[in-house]
Amino acid sequence: MLDFASRSARWVFAATFLVLAAFLGFPVFWMVSTAFKPTAEIFVRFPTLLPAAPTLDNFRGVLGQGDLPLWLTNSLLTAGGAALLTTVLATLAAHSFARFRYRGRKPLMALMISAQMFPFAVLLISLYPLLQAAGLLDTRLGLTIAYIVFALPTGTYMLFSYFVRLPEELMEAARIDGASELGILLRVVLPVSVPGLVTVGLYSFMWAWNDLLYAMTLVTSPELRTVGPGLLMSQLGEMRQDWGAAMAASLVASLPVVIAFALVQRWFVQGLTAGAVKG
Amino acid sequence: MSLAIARQPARQAPRPGGLARAQARTGLLLVLPAMVVFCAVILFPFLDSLRRAFYEDTLMTTEPVFIGFGNFVQLWEDGTILGTWIVTVVFVVLATAATFALGLAWAIVLNERFRGRTLVRALSLLPWVLPSTVVAFLWAWLLNGQYGLLNAVLLTFGVLDEPVAWLATSSGAMAGVVAAKTWLSIPLFSAFLLAGLQSLPREQVEAARIDGAGNWHVFRHVAWPHLRPTIAVLLVLGALGNLQQFDVIYAMTGGGPVRATTVMSVEVQRQAFQAWNLGLAAAVGVVWFLTIVGPAFLRLRGVMKEA
Repeated sequence: MLDFASRSARWVFAATFLVLAAFLGFPVFWMVSTAFKPTAEIFVRFPTLLPAAPTLDNFRGVLGQGDLPLWLTNSLLTAGGAALLTTVLATLAAHSFARFRYRGRKPLMALMISAQMFPFAVLLISLYPLLQAAGLLDTRLGLTIAYIVFALPTGTYMLFSYFVRLPEELMEAARIDGASELGILLRVVLPVSVPGLVTVGLYSFMWAWNDLLYAMTLVTSPELRTVGPGLLMSQLGEMRQDWGAAMAASLVASLPVVIAFALVQRWFVQGLTAGAVKG
Repeated sequence: MSLAIARQPARQAPRPGGLARAQARTGLLLVLPAMVVFCAVILFPFLDSLRRAFYEDTLMTTEPVFIGFGNFVQLWEDGTILGTWIVTVVFVVLATAATFALGLAWAIVLNERFRGRTLVRALSLLPWVLPSTVVAFLWAWLLNGQYGLLNAVLLTFGVLDEPVAWLATSSGAMAGVVAAKTWLSIPLFSAFLLAGLQSLPREQVEAARIDGAGNWHVFRHVAWPHLRPTIAVLLVLGALGNLQQFDVIYAMTGGGPVRATTVMSVEVQRQAFQAWNLGLAAAVGVVWFLTIVGPAFLRLRGVMKEA
């Protein structure tokens, strides 16, 4: 789009690139660098960019004595469960919205989409006593169910956008072959919708994995703690002001979702921004 | 916060007439599980939370007692709600504006060809993927009063004589959480804007070039009009998301110092689950909802046009 014939255009472009790349990249670089530094190199007024004597001590500390593996397991179970539930529910609902015509379809969709303006923190005021009454407060299952809140409306809408663009002929052909509606969904729609399904699953997973608010409110037992509150409370507690350990723990806690994201990144961005623009 | 936006026309499926009823039944059956769960964990809790705003419900009360607008009167008399509201609006406006401006610049950069572009595009999504606690830690560490990098840089260049405990000052803490949230959401904004730029027909740019348009003209009169719908949706989405923001703020500052970064979400959580005054928390929630309903309505209207 831009024209780089003039020298000033090249300079402005290069400067913008460098400033933004540094702003986006540097904090991550600093986390990694700090995580590998021995304590003596961390608590200095003028730190060096790279560790002079790189060490794994910080990682040994957080993985050995800390509860990090436990938090990671809990996060994996709750976020994974929420992603699975959300994707299944959203798929059924989106298929219904995209392929069927019935009275109440539009109001139901509007209701679901309008849920995006229900503040998550406000929902908690009622979710808390509700889960308590069901005996699900302070359980992994309860947190998993609560996590559906984050992504069900958006996920349904994302998949609706995806399904509605599939050619109707695809379904008609299967219908003529005598396939049931469920068969059409499973054998015709889903196989060609993998990017959309992955996007919704990962979106839901990331919301849950990154969550602090629900996890710290709905779960109190240390053995059920997830990554977000786990990190925060250890930082407020025994790991206090141990920035080497905090950065090492942050790095480890980030890895699973970064890896998951790297694997499906291409699909995800496509699915997310699909239909964001005309054409 | 939601991310999906679509503008495609919904297809009107041609259906044989006699099957209409069976179709409707299957359709309703498919949507049923999601609707049941939706009502149980989203709709009912939401309405129930709003209802609680009119009840006195604290650790001292055995049963919630209906008190009409009592909680709202108390909120007003406490004098904190206006401050919380202002802090929320300041945070939302600053974070959304900064994210938009920088995200747009970054999208324009990523739209150009250069070596390693694919890798840079992939890597630049990283901030958005990190757990919010981690984002908070990163920025708290960068802004640390004693050993933080920002202080080291500013001291080196002689901007400061003494290290500053940024997060311990009101404006420093606000700037800190805005910076962290901006950093975290730039990837998302630029992904959307980049998708918009990529769909800009090349011929339009070339035609403008032939007419002698410079870079600024191309941006202002070709790219910007094309991006407009995306920008409108993105700003609403971004504002809604920032209005929801709890995690990064809470983990970075806990809403402090004093109440300098206590936004609505932090206030609701604090009133409900630290002070255990569910009624008062719900009243804050009502005020919050009234704030959110404007932008949310805009979004809803845009979306429903396609259904």
